[in-house]
Amino acid sequence: MKAIKDIPINGIAFALVRVPSSNRLLFGSSDFQVYDLDLAADKSGPKVLGAHQSYVTGLALAGTLAISGGYDGRLIWWDIETRKQIRAVEAHTKWIRKVALSPDGKMVASVGDDMVCRLWNVADGKMLYELRGHHERTPHHFPSMLFVCTFAPDGQSLATADKVGHIVVWDTASGKPIKTLEAPGMYTWDPVQRKHSIGGIRALAFSPDGKYLAAGGISKIGNVDHLDGKARIEVFDWQKGEKAHEHIDDKFKGLVEHLVFHPKGDWVLGGGGANDGFFLFFDLKTKKALRQEKAAMHIHAFALDEKAETIYAAGYGKIQKLEV
Amino acid sequence: MAPNRHSNFCGSPLHAMDRRNFLGTAVAGAAAFAADMTQLNVLQHPALASELKKQQKRCILLWLAGGASQLETWDPKPGAPTGGPFRAIPTSVPGIHISELMPQMAKRMKHTCILRSLNTRIGDHGGGAQLMMRGRRDEPNLKYPDLGAVLARELGRRDSQVPDYVSFYFATEGRSMAPGTAGFLGSRYAPMELYTSMVPENIRRLDSINDLDHKQRAELRELLSKQFAQGRASSSLDSHNEAYQRVRGLMASDKLFDATQEPPKVRDRYGPTLFGEQVMVARRLVEAGVPFVRVARAWWDSHGQNFETHQELVPELDHVMAALLDDLQERGLLDHTLVITLAEFGRTPKINPSLGRDHFATAWSATLSGCGIQGGSVWGKTDAKGEHVVEGEVGAAELFATIYRALGINPQKNYYVGSRPVPLTEPGTKPIKAILA
Repeated sequence: MKAIKDIPINGIAFALVRVPSSNRLLFGSSDFQVYDLDLAADKSGPKVLGAHQSYVTGLALAGTLAISGGYDGRLIWWDIETRKQIRAVEAHTKWIRKVALSPDGKMVASVGDDMVCRLWNVADGKMLYELRGHHERTPHHFPSMLFVCTFAPDGQSLATADKVGHIVVWDTASGKPIKTLEAPGMYTWDPVQRKHSIGGIRALAFSPDGKYLAAGGISKIGNVDHLDGKARIEVFDWQKGEKAHEHIDDKFKGLVEHLVFHPKGDWVLGGGGANDGFFLFFDLKTKKALRQEKAAMHIHAFALDEKAETIYAAGYGKIQKLEV
Repeated sequence: MAPNRHSNFCGSPLHAMDRRNFLGTAVAGAAAFAADMTQLNVLQHPALASELKKQQKRCILLWLAGGASQLETWDPKPGAPTGGPFRAIPTSVPGIHISELMPQMAKRMKHTCILRSLNTRIGDHGGGAQLMMRGRRDEPNLKYPDLGAVLARELGRRDSQVPDYVSFYFATEGRSMAPGTAGFLGSRYAPMELYTSMVPENIRRLDSINDLDHKQRAELRELLSKQFAQGRASSSLDSHNEAYQRVRGLMASDKLFDATQEPPKVRDRYGPTLFGEQVMVARRLVEAGVPFVRVARAWWDSHGQNFETHQELVPELDHVMAALLDDLQERGLLDHTLVITLAEFGRTPKINPSLGRDHFATAWSATLSGCGIQGGSVWGKTDAKGEHVVEGEVGAAELFATIYRALGINPQKNYYVGSRPVPLTEPGTKPIKAILA
């Protein structure tokens, strides 16, 4: 992998989307702003599109409509051509961790620490469903967290995952749960030394054929003061309710924060980190890591171009364009 | 429950005592029995009233081991690059804002003073813990007593049958770095350390000895002791007998540590966590006359995922601390009990790539609530990013002087190590008068 462009930023970029067939990116940051960045044309750096009242952690793009979610619990619709805010919705009572767009671009899903996933109509911002299937408290009586959601390629299913490694796959037409899966290896509760927890499933991705669901996070941690566990990817044949594979990385420690499948399903790419960052290419056929690359920063989100030859990455203090 | 239900003082004026013993025992009895207090007219005697005031005072230290973040608790900086994602919320005291993670304490701010300007300079766990437990650094040849040991000596009663200094520290991390210590005061004031069991181990009567046998053995020992003491005056003898009295008292005190003795309503109030249960037992202990209890909640050392760690730990602290203050107030104990939140240091304003905060002793926060404190107040100020103290800098010595003064203890009082006078706090240290009631 080779870095083609480095854009230093203030703060931490948690969310990123790419305008299809372009070098234009939108990203959400710890400085509460949503930014617009054209890597091809813009030499002046990121331009502010608008702001939340806390960290911006989720972004989805439906044509010229961008929907951002933040720790302020709000979803905000933006027109990226007129650069104006269209609407804001008080979507969650706690932090929004992620938003995801349905493949047809008509629905957006949001998950938050109120442990609810909500489905929204992209066109008018009306809520379609509330999906409740995650416990508000961990088994140790502490608040749980609902970190991630993603749509299946056919748009008929949606997966959500939480801190203790509980995954629910939902039917998007009815709002009912179809399947539950468990990945307890992603969650560490230290009952002896430090008496608190760390971990959780931070990333989800369906394979292009919809058969597999990959989950990313961190393995069991000895010292929960740090992200001191091995990066972890678990792959489920979700309709069977079976775990197809479990990858515990032998090179990198830290959270797998984001997962994207190759368009043809050749591999799944995970990005994340601890104090440093990494990219992991994992081959589902051989069940082996194809490549393990050190990244320039802790990666929080990334996007691939249409040919899966370029990575646009967002993370700690930096936006980066890389050649695969 | 009477505050001193274990007192043996009968109130008889026939008991011949020296002044110190008389004061101590009269106060003990007075605290337990209102009728006796009236007969003695103790409150009209300035010396006795002063002693009573002092001896009724208690302290509970909530030790946030590993270092809680001031930015996610008492000194939020919302919107600053260092501020993190949490909002600040207004409290019941106009102008004071704290982290949104503490809504219950926000409603009870009238009881609490926030010190936002600690600069204690030591950023390693061991050194920081020793400093903040003792208020000063040891000398090569002099090991200082910690806060609990000093308060055990100053607020404990000589005839007490409950422990003077109890410390709960169940998590293993950091425990060896912050042990309770009596320093030069000696083992009499050493803590009863509870690491694994809520009830002290080895205080129950042996199964091989029945209750009658146990009592008869004690009576025989007492008889022989009295015979031996006839015509002899010895502090060693007093100490020996006192030790036996204390042991018998401790053996009878196991129920004090038993959380199930509390009604379900009270237990529910403190919540289901171990920390909640231990703080509830701390309240039971101070109510029964234990002068100092430390409850250590470890481990706050959030080098990675600081915000998620604080999402777990701060709401627990908020809930438990609010329950404690309410409980103490409803029992009439809050005016006599100082509740402290303290750690070895705070956490860096800078957020690291693991979304963590590291050790930071340059500008951090502690709180004092209840006894002797001007509640609803803030002392000191940090800059916009929380990186430096800009007003009212406080070191460990000033903090300890303020704690002592709030509890009616002269911070410059001397102890003697051999012939060397050793003041409770470093010479010249002054308490923060503005926050004292």
